[in-house]
Amino acid sequence: MTKDEHREGIKGMANPGRYGIERIAYLLMRLSGLGLLGYFIAHIYETSNILRGRMGWDDFLAMTQTTEGHIFLALVIGMCVFHTGNGIRIMLGHGGVGVGKPTRPDYPYDPASQNYRHKIGIYSSIVLAAVAMMYGMAVMFGE
Amino acid sequence: MKESTIMKIHYGTALASVGLVAVHILMRLTTGFADSLTYENVLANYRSVPYVIMLELILILLAVHGFNGLRVILLELKQGRVYEKAVSYGCVVAMIVLIGYGSRTIIMTNVGMV
Repeated sequence: MTKDEHREGIKGMANPGRYGIERIAYLLMRLSGLGLLGYFIAHIYETSNILRGRMGWDDFLAMTQTTEGHIFLALVIGMCVFHTGNGIRIMLGHGGVGVGKPTRPDYPYDPASQNYRHKIGIYSSIVLAAVAMMYGMAVMFGE
Repeated sequence: MKESTIMKIHYGTALASVGLVAVHILMRLTTGFADSLTYENVLANYRSVPYVIMLELILILLAVHGFNGLRVILLELKQGRVYEKAVSYGCVVAMIVLIGYGSRTIIMTNVGMV
């Protein structure tokens, strides 16, 4: 990272166009993780409405069974599938799977771990997330 | 606790959650998405002991995984002795509060306090 890039602060670090698909995967992993944690907390609160009886449950459910609610849930499905797919890729990478053999570092110093196997893993996670979102929307809007 | 041990717990909770959450979502598709969310259906789910055990496991696994993930993100942004301790303990407290709140719903509904 050059001095100029340091000056950009978090904006420079978060620039997804500069460091390839691995940086985009890094950002999406964190964003989807935070989004899923937020949804999880909201889901725990949402389901606690069952303690308010039938009226409380039906009132709260009516708020979520809307077009906006379904679109939000489709986003959650997408985040969940990407986080899972990319998470499995990271776990395999940490276990030494698909990172290549250690070799002498030669110019242009391409990192062996950032190879086509892991790139395919990232793209596959994005495609799977998109497919799952479409399936989720078909289920939610199909009823 | 060693960071390597924490990461093993992080990965273990992730893998276990994937399987259990898949079952949890499939349960919503058994009778149709909207029908499965009716008051009677949800209450019946909470009265089933095996399902309740699975819900409690999901709650604990996801809370541990989620708040440890948040801790990792926050520690990547900033470092320092006091800050790191505050983030770690804060995440543990938030995790315990969330597990407590979720368990309250599960237990009260299961024993018929609704």
